Amino acid sequence: MATSLTVFFYASVAALSAIPGGLVRWSAGPGADRWVGWAHALAAGGMLGAAFVLTVVPDVAAGYAAIGAAIGVALIVATHAITGLDTLDLSRPRPEDPTAAGRLVKVHALHACTEGVAIGVAMAVDLSLGVFMALAIAVHNVPEAALLSRATRRRGASRARSAALAAISNIGQPGLAVVAWLLIAAAPWSLPWILGLAVGALLTLVMTELLPASYREAGSTSIALLASVALGLVILFSGILS
Amino acid sequence: MRDIGLVFAYGLVTALATGLGALPFLSVRAISGRTVGRLNAVASGLMLGASFGLLAEGTRFGGWQTFIGGLVGVLFILATNRYLRERHVHPGVATGAGGDGLRRMVLIVTVMTVHSLAEGVAIGTSFGGGMALATFITVAIAVHNIPEGVAISAVLRSNGVSVPRCAGWSIVSSLPQPVMAVPAFLFVEAFAPALPYGIGFAAGAMVFMVMLEILPEAYGKGSAREVGVIATLSMIAMILFQKVVAG
Repeated sequence: MATSLTVFFYASVAALSAIPGGLVRWSAGPGADRWVGWAHALAAGGMLGAAFVLTVVPDVAAGYAAIGAAIGVALIVATHAITGLDTLDLSRPRPEDPTAAGRLVKVHALHACTEGVAIGVAMAVDLSLGVFMALAIAVHNVPEAALLSRATRRRGASRARSAALAAISNIGQPGLAVVAWLLIAAAPWSLPWILGLAVGALLTLVMTELLPASYREAGSTSIALLASVALGLVILFSGILS
Repeated sequence: MRDIGLVFAYGLVTALATGLGALPFLSVRAISGRTVGRLNAVASGLMLGASFGLLAEGTRFGGWQTFIGGLVGVLFILATNRYLRERHVHPGVATGAGGDGLRRMVLIVTVMTVHSLAEGVAIGTSFGGGMALATFITVAIAVHNIPEGVAISAVLRSNGVSVPRCAGWSIVSSLPQPVMAVPAFLFVEAFAPALPYGIGFAAGAMVFMVMLEILPEAYGKGSAREVGVIATLSMIAMILFQKVVAG
């Protein structure tokens, strides 16, 4: 049985895994663009896997979950519109655009919040599923943080500062994990709704941000390979570990 | 025998659905790239949702077997694609206009025909996962075939081929589906331990094909936001669809 402290602990571990990602040294050569695409593809595959793991949770009212998922889609679309992120091209924040790095931090924070809900829901379903979800998100956070720190370092921030920023912008992860967990603990009927919301939001981020960005940076063969294999590995390990 | 007939019939339905892709050209002189993008987005979402259903089924039998089957499915699409690319064939030419018309028409039909081999295997193996799953995979592939038929028809029609002939060639391109569905089904039936491999193969081939060709094509034709939201909603609908009837 998970407690709010365990939820907070594992979600924080996931959030802090941004630090090694943020410290990644990016080469400035022309080949670096492909690595940006590959990092996006890995992040996309991992996130798809996280969504898959939630869709196979047994005994969830599918109808409510689907409505929750539609709300999740709408929430992400609305957030994008309100924050102006809908006009941001993830893969090519133009160096001369002074707002690009700041907007990427917002993107990162939005992803972190969504993933936090996913961790909280998984913890509410089952402790081992929650631990697995936190680990999967932790791995997913490494390429995501690497992408963020690439942008902030172009804006002149140091490596250490960029890594710290990546981790700090993940603060919503433990925060929302605990909130989602507490909500479900207090009102178990909300489980399918919140689970659906997490699935819908995760899928929307993959389909509207991560995948389109990845295709712009690298060939579709390498992107499809990395994203499919990352998805497969998450599913494989979810069966083994939980 | 009755089962084999049923598998063949399901495969045939998806093949015939491809012919529906020619219908929009009855009223529209030229279908906009944006519409092709949206249709591809719907197809991507449905196929990803169907793959989630397959993966859920396969991992119940064995995670490693499903994973290995999935890798083989990925390699299968990769090899097919490489073979075609060496002959300078790319599905992207499907909706382009102009150029060497006849060669392009031959290429698009060939590409789509080879693709449908994998789709036939997906139909055949999905029967091993139960009737409900098979029905949904068939629906998903049939729906996915419509934009493929649109793509084929767009090329043929722009080269002056009549609408009925566009429909005919679209169906021909999908005929390997019933033909491949039967041996795939028999293989799954005969070798029960191979079931998760077969399911993994179908899911891996489908996910990879979506990510390799259909999604990039869709993103190339519309805004990432619109395509992404349509794909996501289609995927959610497909997952719900499977859960409601299976559960």
